[in-house]
Amino acid sequence: MRAESPAAALLVEVARGDRGALRALYQQQATRLFGIAQSILRDREAAADAVQDAFLRISQRAAQFDPARGEAGAWLGAVARHAALDLARKRGRELPTDDPALGDIAVAPEALEHVAASAEGRRLRDCLSALDEKNRKGILLAFVHGLSHAQVAARLDLPLGTVKAWIRRGLLQLRECLT
Amino acid sequence: MIPTDPQDRDIFAAEYVLGTLDARAVAEVEAALPGDAGLRAAIREWEVRLAPLLALAAPESPPPDLWDRIEAALPGAPRLAPVPRRRRWLDPWRGWAIGASAVAAGLAALLVTRPVPEPPRLMTVLLTQRDQPAWVVEANAAGQLRLASLNPRRLEEGRAMQLWGLPPGATAPTSLGLIPPEGQLTVSTGGLRPEPGMLIEISLEPPGGSPTGRPTGPILFIGRLTEAGAS
Repeated sequence: MRAESPAAALLVEVARGDRGALRALYQQQATRLFGIAQSILRDREAAADAVQDAFLRISQRAAQFDPARGEAGAWLGAVARHAALDLARKRGRELPTDDPALGDIAVAPEALEHVAASAEGRRLRDCLSALDEKNRKGILLAFVHGLSHAQVAARLDLPLGTVKAWIRRGLLQLRECLT
Repeated sequence: MIPTDPQDRDIFAAEYVLGTLDARAVAEVEAALPGDAGLRAAIREWEVRLAPLLALAAPESPPPDLWDRIEAALPGAPRLAPVPRRRRWLDPWRGWAIGASAVAAGLAALLVTRPVPEPPRLMTVLLTQRDQPAWVVEANAAGQLRLASLNPRRLEEGRAMQLWGLPPGATAPTSLGLIPPEGQLTVSTGGLRPEPGMLIEISLEPPGGSPTGRPTGPILFIGRLTEAGAS
């Protein structure tokens, strides 16, 4: 079954214009990528639009994927996230962020264990654990749920300028820790 | 402004990956990427660093028809076999188009031929400058627009047709993409929700579409979305 081919091999075929490979990639990845878009958009119709847009981008940009510089799953996840973020920005991020449970899973202490499935993930988990709690939460809420600086500020009850500066500082610390 | 200081540039790349840049900054990044290998590399490195966080999003099954939508939206997509319900409402349009003069009469005929009440459907007929019907446009429940040409004709060499949407109250139309020569397509309207009163236009543009983001050539066809299924 082509759906069982590694995503990286399928991407090479997609870059050659093989629509069957794109379909196999969809069968293999759609549930994961839809989950990524839905975490950001929290609206199934919008998430479907984002995943559709993501697969159009994948069909156009598959040749840009370089297996020497990262895994196919990460590349595909990034394409889906940016498609969802673009849609969220176009809508002015008018998203239901008042859900009190929003983000609880992403910022729960045990959530980081999900991240630690690989060696890279374990390093990232350790580095994230070393950050101030609010730095870490801000970064996770932005990455997983697509929250803007202003939404993170409202959620963590911090001034906007503080959140911007903290997220930057957190990113700097992460980069140093991961180097 | 994309920073020039290397440290600031790297954090800017990280914020792009994180998703906290605003739309204007994102547009700047994406415009700069093709000519800026350093920025491309910085972004790729951050994508890889943060990729394990993708596991925090719970997998969720997409709508069952999503692959069909994607396939129909791919460039050069083969025509979709019309489902019977769709054929039933399209056919009266084709017949009507031959001797048409009144769009309103056609809309009424459409309502009569619809067998069961369904959620309100947005549609319009795009007319030529001489009020001849040329395209049927329908917005589906997923917020996409489906277009079908009533009288396909060849476009002169070196020209393209571009589709635009102008919601009520908006001051400038938003591009919805180029129209392939096959004359039938489904477009995802992105952040633009089809709504009653939205103007739909097709303009004549250079190959690849308008270079300015606004229609630059003549408007060939125009229509306004109307609720067709409302009772």
